Amino acid sequence: MNRREFLMVSTAAGLAASTRFAAAATRLDMYTASDANISDFFGNVIKPAFEAANAGIELNVVIARPAAALDAVAQRALAALSAKADPQLDFIEQYEPMLPAGGLEAGLWTDFSKAGLKNYGTLNKLAIQTPYGLPYRGSQVLLAYDTTKLPKDKVPKTFADLVAWIKANPGQFIYNRPDKGGSGFNFVNRVVHEVSGRDPGKFKVDNFNQATADDVLGKAWAALGDLAPSLYQSGAYTAGNTASLQLLAQGAVTMVPAWSDQALQAIAKGVLPETTGLVQLSDLALCGAFSQAVIPTNAAHLDASLKLADFLLLPETQAVIIEKLGGFPAVDWSNLPQALHDKYADVIPSSIPTFPQGDWTKAVQDGWYRNVAPNISRT
Amino acid sequence: MITVPHPRAEGGGLSGLLLVALPVVLLVWLVLWPVLQAFVGTLYFPGKGFSAASYSYFFTDAYSLRNLWLTLWVTALTSVLRVVVAMPIAIYLRFRSGSVAALVQSLALFPLFVPSVLVAYAFIRVLGPNGIVDTILVALHLPKLSTPYLTPAGPIIGLVWEGLPLTLLLLLSGLGRVSTASVEAARDLGARGWTIFSRIILPRIQSSIIVALSFNVLGLFSAFTLPYLLGPASPEMMGPYMQRTFSDNADPLNATTQAVITFAFCAAFGLVYVRAIARGRKGPA
Repeated sequence: MNRREFLMVSTAAGLAASTRFAAAATRLDMYTASDANISDFFGNVIKPAFEAANAGIELNVVIARPAAALDAVAQRALAALSAKADPQLDFIEQYEPMLPAGGLEAGLWTDFSKAGLKNYGTLNKLAIQTPYGLPYRGSQVLLAYDTTKLPKDKVPKTFADLVAWIKANPGQFIYNRPDKGGSGFNFVNRVVHEVSGRDPGKFKVDNFNQATADDVLGKAWAALGDLAPSLYQSGAYTAGNTASLQLLAQGAVTMVPAWSDQALQAIAKGVLPETTGLVQLSDLALCGAFSQAVIPTNAAHLDASLKLADFLLLPETQAVIIEKLGGFPAVDWSNLPQALHDKYADVIPSSIPTFPQGDWTKAVQDGWYRNVAPNISRT
Repeated sequence: MITVPHPRAEGGGLSGLLLVALPVVLLVWLVLWPVLQAFVGTLYFPGKGFSAASYSYFFTDAYSLRNLWLTLWVTALTSVLRVVVAMPIAIYLRFRSGSVAALVQSLALFPLFVPSVLVAYAFIRVLGPNGIVDTILVALHLPKLSTPYLTPAGPIIGLVWEGLPLTLLLLLSGLGRVSTASVEAARDLGARGWTIFSRIILPRIQSSIIVALSFNVLGLFSAFTLPYLLGPASPEMMGPYMQRTFSDNADPLNATTQAVITFAFCAAFGLVYVRAIARGRKGPA
């Protein structure tokens, strides 16, 4: 090949390559601010499966941590909506559809109940908070315990039973500091719910007032202070969700509150033994939450985004969310294989209470440090 | 008497000043200015005037005072323990050489290369409940270990281990000033171990010990990871307390106040350090 021939061949090859790029896959820009396990799950599990099922669509997983970065992205989408420009954003894996301010009124987020998703009807009704957010995975705090020390049929099922069990087995229960992880925080919240009449609806983002807080939380501190001497080391509190699971895995305690996804993932990976049991209280469950995906109505690849939304709700994907991620399915369990249903029967929620962010959370967390944590004699 | 002219007396001062100008500017800009800003920010509120309310809150709040007190005694105890543990190793390394000494040195300096989080998890695995020590004790039919994990002893053990290398290096540099000849001379005159240490070694390394103590205090006062992961929930050391006040309680004013108070204590020890250095420069202490 002489020089001229080489130039001609390489130009032809370059042209062919560029046309291939021109016809390249639709690139779906998906954002996530969740922890590494979630972004890994999207990059390593969802992306290949979704691309294989939808030829011509490329899923671009953009990690935008911390969550404040997502606020900027959502603001940009809102600005693009009024300017009728491309928001360069097709899908957010988890976002609060009430944000940014004025976005919902301006019609920024897709109404999933009207978007024509094939699988929308399979969703667990408990999971839907607003039609503008698509619940696709959930997790809830429950109790993880060692079945070799506490047989399944003896496990406490109500809060009163749990308190009686903790007192009858001193040193065998621990929860983490409420500000350092949701499992301990939601255990404390369950006590707040217990002393206030088991009605989570009493606590809302905007109904905090000091007098009610002093009254209700005062009772909660008394109840928790009463439990303290029966806890591990007569009132020690771990520094986070993982530290509690570690104590359970080491056999130092028999029962801890734990996030369902972390506990299931730990069992699947062998971090917690197969003999770990999970139970939810039946009188009122511990708090939990579902992740809500959002799609801007002005997304450049709206159709492809809706395909992704539908894909996440497929029974196969939901099964992977349970098995690989340790999450809760967002669809009703009746849509999932019976074997899976039986395996996780203990953790299937019948209700998913929540606790509001904001002033109530601050009052619970700081109050706990001041009233419960020091209120013990550590000898 | 003939005076020797100082060749650097003329002009040398300016180039010397120029050399330190950049670090000094950086120090003022990135350290002193923000501290001053923080200090003013806790006292002066635009539109409302001066108020020392956040300070009077801190010093009247039993919970805050308990945290400060815990920080003070953990810092004091840990600093002293570090010097006490590092001293025999330093003396051994100063007067011995060979492969065993090299091994001891590398083992003692090892914590320098281990991040705090790993120290914490290693600690839990070894000294924690049903950890390695526990398992061995049980295998030997000895009573179970009462674990220091989640008690005030937990962070102290972790912090002593973590800070050992720096303390050791500082003491070793001080011991470099102790001449082997003087120790041997004392030994020839019949001095025993403790006499040699207290009469010959200690006076020479006094300023090194002060430097080591003040360095330790500065680091320990704001220690975060180990007190947070290994210690009890309450009382808290100032590091975790500040972080919690700032982010969980969303209370920057009180968090800044705590930081200014912490800084004041550290600055006091910084002053001790500077004086020790200045004294060391004038001649062997």
